Amino acid sequence: MTQQPASILDNGFAPLGLDALRETARINRLDVAAMFMAAGNGHFGSCYSCTEIVTALYFAVMRVDATRPDWPDRDRFVLGKGHAAPTLYSALIRRGFIPEAWIHEFEARVGARLMTHPSRRYQPGIDSSQGALGHGLSNACGMALAGRLDGRDYRVYAVLGDGELHEGSVWEAAAFAPKHRLDNLVAIVDRNGLCVDGRADEVLPLEPLADRWTSFGWDVVEADGHDLAALLPALDVPRFGGSGRPRVVIARTVKGRGVSFMEDVRGWHADVIAPAQYEALRSELREVLR
Amino acid sequence: MSLLDDPARLREHVAAFRAAHPRKDVRAQFGESMRALMERRPDVVAVTADLMHATGLAGLHATFADRLVNVGIAEQNMTGVAAGLAACGKLPVVCGYAAFTTLRAVEQAKVDCAYNELKVILAGLACGLSYGVGGPTHQTYEDVAIMRAIPNMIVVAPSDPVELGHALEAAADLPDATPVYLRLGRGPEHVLNRPGAPFAIGRAVRLAEGRDLCIVAHGAMVLEALLAADLLRAEGIAAEVLNMHTVKPIDRDAILEAAEHVRAMVVVEEHSVVGGLGSAVLEVLERGHAFPVARVGIEDAYPPIGPTLELREALGLSGPHIARRARDLLGDVPRTRAVRGG
Repeated sequence: MTQQPASILDNGFAPLGLDALRETARINRLDVAAMFMAAGNGHFGSCYSCTEIVTALYFAVMRVDATRPDWPDRDRFVLGKGHAAPTLYSALIRRGFIPEAWIHEFEARVGARLMTHPSRRYQPGIDSSQGALGHGLSNACGMALAGRLDGRDYRVYAVLGDGELHEGSVWEAAAFAPKHRLDNLVAIVDRNGLCVDGRADEVLPLEPLADRWTSFGWDVVEADGHDLAALLPALDVPRFGGSGRPRVVIARTVKGRGVSFMEDVRGWHADVIAPAQYEALRSELREVLR
Repeated sequence: MSLLDDPARLREHVAAFRAAHPRKDVRAQFGESMRALMERRPDVVAVTADLMHATGLAGLHATFADRLVNVGIAEQNMTGVAAGLAACGKLPVVCGYAAFTTLRAVEQAKVDCAYNELKVILAGLACGLSYGVGGPTHQTYEDVAIMRAIPNMIVVAPSDPVELGHALEAAADLPDATPVYLRLGRGPEHVLNRPGAPFAIGRAVRLAEGRDLCIVAHGAMVLEALLAADLLRAEGIAAEVLNMHTVKPIDRDAILEAAEHVRAMVVVEEHSVVGGLGSAVLEVLERGHAFPVARVGIEDAYPPIGPTLELREALGLSGPHIARRARDLLGDVPRTRAVRGG
């Protein structure tokens, strides 16, 4: 039904297998923690719920090339939930877009090149600056439409927070993409269930979420957002000759996944981390998650 | 009795002045200019939010169906999609009403376009009082203040339908990775420029010479400024008229050059007196100026509804009012100006 990852990447980078992806996800969580230690605090919960999603995309699915960040045929990535930028930074560091040394200057000084939200002004490999919620899917739609107009075979991936779906502008874009048959577009909803003030569905109901996307005309796939084996086929859509419908992957995730004291805890959306907690976190992340 | 104080003669004079400048519909002109641009530049994509007909684009659909994207009544998505198109090498022209493009989707203008350093042309029709009967939801008099406060945003308000075409072409050909807000009218507006007249974004056009006074204006107010200069001539006052079509980046040199000799300056805009062209001119003069500056614009209150021309007249956005304001201003100023101190 879906292509194997090995046939997708044609830029010389061999897509990683499941074991290597799990190890990459582990390193990603440690990179993120190191950045937040440099800053003194950070969006741990929001980053750790999308670690596997971003890792799968950058190491097994997307066609990107660090030697050509502006390559017109590259797959595009838009982080609608821009506050999870450190997860993206780690992927870009480990794929060679961003120097590893930048980890230590995350938010650390005036003019720091890594900050809370991704910026194409300051960071190579970022396709779209994000941070204000509800913008990413529209931007991704424009990118996907440009690809179709130009007959290019790149795909566009947009990771959205579930709380972000409270923004009405997301649904403007959700109505737009099926109308233009953007089957080169994949939206991934990081369904961690929490927004800043509590349970996302208690703050403003999102369910029945899959039905909502289906009724807008999307090809809906639900998956465990931490199961790399489940994510890979869900994220892999044909470059041409697809279903005619954009795909949305509703990825069931856990906020703060991988660190026991952060998992599904509202307060860890963003918080200060104490040195002892940092050590506990590093100790828990000695093993890959399964 | 002077012309300015003789209502019957003044009415006749104003009518004759305006009649000498035939009007053209802004929507029709915008459609024609977009057609020319889309023929010349295959990378141009028009993006609109259910205002294809209202912005004059309907006639382009048959030729450019693929490159005319109607997002429905969803302005945030309109500007967001445009930014995505620009990020992938297209030159999007957002075609909407000024009110919605600059206020409903202001964050998309800032973040998606300006901060992201993407070349998107944001064409906002129905600016100022050009949809006067629409009331304050459709009248737009805060757009210049908002848009010019956004870093990396260029703001251009062409003075007539001919200059609209020049501005659209110039915006499209700007090499900079920067969005351009084009502030446009809606219905018929007087034509004062020649087709092919020189036009450069950021460079004011001196339309009349005069040593006593400088009138700075943009948009439809440029014609009123010319009318005011004409009326003042009969009063023995020589007024320079600057068509300041680009509010940002403003032509500092033109303002400072005028500041060297004039005894007063009047800035005219179909916009709130808060934050618009008047403010931009005063920002240039912030290091001190030895002459009075008057701002003629929309006071900080919701204007009444009304047909555009009558409404402009009622709010003092007309040649005779500008001329009287200038005359009053100069009446308070000595004939010879003290040389400015360093």
